[in-house]
Amino acid sequence: MTEEGRIVLSVLGALTFCAILAFFAIYFVRIKRPTHFGYETVTESEKRERVAGVFTSVAESYDRMNDLMSFGWHRVWKDHFVASLNPGFSPLTAGPDPRGPQHILDIAGGTGDIAFRMLHTAHVLNANPAVRVTISDINRAMLTVGKQRSTTLPASQQAALSFVEANAENLSQTRPLHPYPSPLEPTSTDAHGRQEQAFFDPATATSSIPSNSVDLYTVAFGIRNFSNIPAALREAHRVLKPGGVFACLEFSKADRFPLFNAVYKEWSFRAIPLIGQLVAADRDSYQYLVESIERFPSQRDFRDMIVDAGFVVAGEGYEDLTGGVAAIHKGMKPRA
Amino acid sequence: MHPPTVSCSAGAAATRRLLLRPLRPAILPSSRLTPAPPSRSLSSTTCRPITSSPSPFNNKNNNRPTSLHRPQQKQQQQQQQPLRTYHSHTHPAPPGPFTPAEAHLLSAAYLHVPAHGFTPEALALGARDIGLLDISPAVLPDGGAFALIRWHLYFQRTCLAGKVHDIFAGEGEGGAPRTVGERVEALAWARLRGNEGVVGRWQEALAIMAQPSYVPASLKELAQLADEILYLAGDVSVDPSWYTKRASLSTIYAAAELFQTTDTSPGFRETRAFLRRRLDEAARAGGAVRAVGEWVGFNASAAVNVLRSKGVRI
Ligand SMILES: C[S@@+](CC[C@H](N)C(=O)[O-])C[C@H]1O[C@@H](n2cnc3c(N)ncnc32)[C@H](O)[C@@H]1O
Repeated sequence: MTEEGRIVLSVLGALTFCAILAFFAIYFVRIKRPTHFGYETVTESEKRERVAGVFTSVAESYDRMNDLMSFGWHRVWKDHFVASLNPGFSPLTAGPDPRGPQHILDIAGGTGDIAFRMLHTAHVLNANPAVRVTISDINRAMLTVGKQRSTTLPASQQAALSFVEANAENLSQTRPLHPYPSPLEPTSTDAHGRQEQAFFDPATATSSIPSNSVDLYTVAFGIRNFSNIPAALREAHRVLKPGGVFACLEFSKADRFPLFNAVYKEWSFRAIPLIGQLVAADRDSYQYLVESIERFPSQRDFRDMIVDAGFVVAGEGYEDLTGGVAAIHKGMKPRA
Repeated sequence: MHPPTVSCSAGAAATRRLLLRPLRPAILPSSRLTPAPPSRSLSSTTCRPITSSPSPFNNKNNNRPTSLHRPQQKQQQQQQQPLRTYHSHTHPAPPGPFTPAEAHLLSAAYLHVPAHGFTPEALALGARDIGLLDISPAVLPDGGAFALIRWHLYFQRTCLAGKVHDIFAGEGEGGAPRTVGERVEALAWARLRGNEGVVGRWQEALAIMAQPSYVPASLKELAQLADEILYLAGDVSVDPSWYTKRASLSTIYAAAELFQTTDTSPGFRETRAFLRRRLDEAARAGGAVRAVGEWVGFNASAAVNVLRSKGVRI
């Protein structure tokens, strides 16, 4: 390629880059940023509402990050993820499962994106109202948002939902959701006067998820945040019934298509932190997002980790979505 | 019922054959010219078409088969890796290897296909039969319907090798086949008979196979079937005409299979006559007229027709 050719190409590349950047900048500015209320005097109930509001926007910012990393595809992936698991399906000819109703555990379930889809598929599409779903997360503020969102569901679906605070790495220490903030545990502030994250403290555990009690364990865009992934996989294996299925949806490696991968890398390493800085004034979170995805093992390596935890897989054990930008991994706990 | 044994030995056969393929005829072992009787005998019971569904699900069913075995499975995966890379240069990948867990589940579900089709129903019933849960088939790619179809294709294809001895000894109708052409016909016919248990479900299966994401794998299976038949029939040509033959055999087989889905004659007599006519035509035309393009075109239009018959507007 000639020198001019190269220059023309890089100019074109830069222009495209700016165009995409501008597009997302506009997308962001349209979203109202959280208002600061730290110095106002407000009543306790007002405060609770406002804090919940901040976390709604935390949840929104998770959504927004997912949008950026997936070009908006993550909702389609979630639909596909749930549809391909077909929760609540039971053979018509043989009647309901003699081994009792299905129990689905959605780990790192945050605001309920996956759990609500599961409920809809099981209760409505598969007409199986016996299916129960537990949403679990380490962050009870996220769970509180999820619980609020769930109030728009039909009563029968709400009744089949439960919310549990737990660290995915140790599911024998849990407690039912204490809404955040609660009058019992007033929220604290850190040195900068910011609301502290509402992470679950295992010292406050009151219950546990029993071994061999879950039919389907799901985790969507959560597992790469865990500090000890093998421990989480072992816990998944413990709580699943023999024959139960582990299913994970997570960002992955698009390196099977080098050109696409190069563009995607460029986008995620350069554009996304920049967007985070310019628009959300939060470069660090966005930098972390990109790096956590980069650090996460490749499709094959993660599949091997699942097998090491005691699961059996079918075929390759994973399915690439959108060229590998995300992947679904599945494993089954074999009968002992 | 122990299908992993079947798939393992068949896998070995496929490996041997694929390793032989690139060799020139001159250095081929002479046994390839007249296929030797298979070294192992697949019991014909195992490979007989499934015609009846097992007794309905029984709660008190406690004679459960042995459990799935994890360590074996990991080992197998590691062993298969280099094999696959080697073949991908010259030939389609060997049959998508089913992991033992997958094979166990699919073979149990397969018994329910005659009654319930290639459906989640059959998969969940199969899972219950082997002591698994209704959710267990979710571990299969895309919930398992296409995996179940592939199981049928793979299972019936690999069964052919075990039947060769009987077929060539003239135990089928029409006496012992002598020429390569006659053997091809006898083998294609034996394979079509493998569809007997699922014929009523085969149009549904074709509609699933015609979905864009499954077309490549479906065509690959068809090509592998043609390979298998030509190999077992003792066709040793390694020149370009081999590809044409494979293509025309694929076309003819696919057409005969489609014909079979609407054939109500006793013992699928009409299908057999159809198969013979098409093979004769191809032989008379020198076997070289059907290009790969035509073959793909045929499959596409057959798929479109099936989809139309399912009410899809194309
Ligand atoms: C990006 S959100 C995913 C939310 C939801 N599953 C979805 O798909 O939209 C990641 C979630 O993982 C949770 N999380 C992070 N580490 C965790 C851990 N060790 N145990 C449980 N949840 C954790 C976070 O609190 C957060 O809610």
